[in-house]
Amino acid sequence: MNWWDDALHRATAEVLLAGALAGLVGVHVVLRRLSFFTMALTHATFPGVVAASIIGVNIVIGGVVAGAIVALGVAALSRHRSQNTAAATGVMLSGGFALGAGLVATQSGFSRDLTSFLVGSILTVSPQDLVTTAVALVVVAAVLLVCARPLRYTGFDRAGAQAAGFATGVWDVVLLLVIQVAVVTIVPAIGTILALALIVAPAAAARQWSHRLSIITALAVTLGALSGLGGLYASSRWDVAAGASITLTATAILALSTVLARLVRSRPTATARLRAFPA
Amino acid sequence: MDDVAVADAAVRFTEVSVGYHGTPVLTDVNLELVPGQRLALIGPNGAGKSTLIKSILGLVPVLAGTSTVLGRTPAQARARTGYVPQTDSLDADFPVTAGQVVMMGRYRRIGWWRPTRNADRRAVHEALDRLGLADHARTHFGVLSGGQRQRVLLARAIAAEPRLLLLDEPFNGVDAVSQEAIVSVLRELSAVGTTLVLSTHDLTVAHELADAVCVLNGRQWAVGPPDETLTADTLRRAYGGHAVELRDGRTVLVEP
Repeated sequence: MNWWDDALHRATAEVLLAGALAGLVGVHVVLRRLSFFTMALTHATFPGVVAASIIGVNIVIGGVVAGAIVALGVAALSRHRSQNTAAATGVMLSGGFALGAGLVATQSGFSRDLTSFLVGSILTVSPQDLVTTAVALVVVAAVLLVCARPLRYTGFDRAGAQAAGFATGVWDVVLLLVIQVAVVTIVPAIGTILALALIVAPAAAARQWSHRLSIITALAVTLGALSGLGGLYASSRWDVAAGASITLTATAILALSTVLARLVRSRPTATARLRAFPA
Repeated sequence: MDDVAVADAAVRFTEVSVGYHGTPVLTDVNLELVPGQRLALIGPNGAGKSTLIKSILGLVPVLAGTSTVLGRTPAQARARTGYVPQTDSLDADFPVTAGQVVMMGRYRRIGWWRPTRNADRRAVHEALDRLGLADHARTHFGVLSGGQRQRVLLARAIAAEPRLLLLDEPFNGVDAVSQEAIVSVLRELSAVGTTLVLSTHDLTVAHELADAVCVLNGRQWAVGPPDETLTADTLRRAYGGHAVELRDGRTVLVEP
């Protein structure tokens, strides 16, 4: 029997890849304070995925198209830096979600039920899904590596980056599309409403332990993969939904990291460390 | 085209209005700066100092009048123009070290994806060293003091070797040691022909550092040598008739 023929093997590989991908983009989501936007993206992919499965095209394509509409829309709106950006993001979040729920309801005998979209279906991952996630991971890692300088400059100092000749709007779109590729890849496995914690929690935890982007990234990828693995194990051990247990594991890692970071910083022997990395 | 005259001026603004979305923020700007000149922009909050600096960078459109920077349009000259933004406009929580910030000044030379060369690393080290921060290259930017942050940003601008350097409130929240370091480096830059434009609230600094002052508030009220422009009369008019005192024969501004 081939290793891939076992659903649990495939699920293990998928959570490792998806967790690593979530941690990788999560660093940028956390540093740019884009959690709310990412939440909107996860919900906006939902109608795209449903529409794609209704008309019979690859659901990843449906998710990418729907997410791209939101990403470009928010990028256009946020150029004006008004409070309306948050309002528009919020409306897109619930509007997109409602559209998806409506589309599901129109289809009697729909092959995937609403729940599997909401909380994911890691145990039905196919070998093709695995390939998609692996390719997405490689592409996202490559883009973040090649574009590290403009992303660092625009993230740190927008006005300075503009003055230095960087087209900040273009780099915003690059980053939003990277986040979007990750979201569309992760959502089918982890679920529309659960994916955000897997993206944000490992990166937020990693941020508590370093001021070096390389270290934060390595740590976030590791914690993301661990969240996936730990969640999958808990799911099979106690028979709970995998998406939920992965999200809970990521949340627990962030809570534990926060407590540990407090303890380490309050110890007198850690004074030197405190000077290097204050809260 | 009058090549000689154009090449002589680092900045030449004639009857310029600048603003956003077609609405002028600042009008009647007439500036002519020769290489090595040190111009201080003086005016209350919202006077248009930052807007003028951004228009010299070509980031805020010139709505009327003619503008040349280093003999070209402001946007074309950006490659040889350095910019030190206000420190509170950046994300100090962002995980970058002082050395990485200064290296940003080299990005334009390196290209956004090619590896750094020895010359870039040397330029970064020298720029930090000139501002007394050689030991802080690996320090997180966010843990530095306000004055140290400002010195890092100046080092970043120097690392790009600009011919024209624009500084937006470089002495805000800056301690005496940092201010001294910044002023001395600015004098050195000016001595080798770098033109400086800096906005400030501090009239004493403007007096000591600048050889020309431009008084702004919605429009240009005066431009010329400090002794002729930083007069109680001009300042009272620009600042709306209050908050100006004279002390020791010098003009002192009480913050409005």
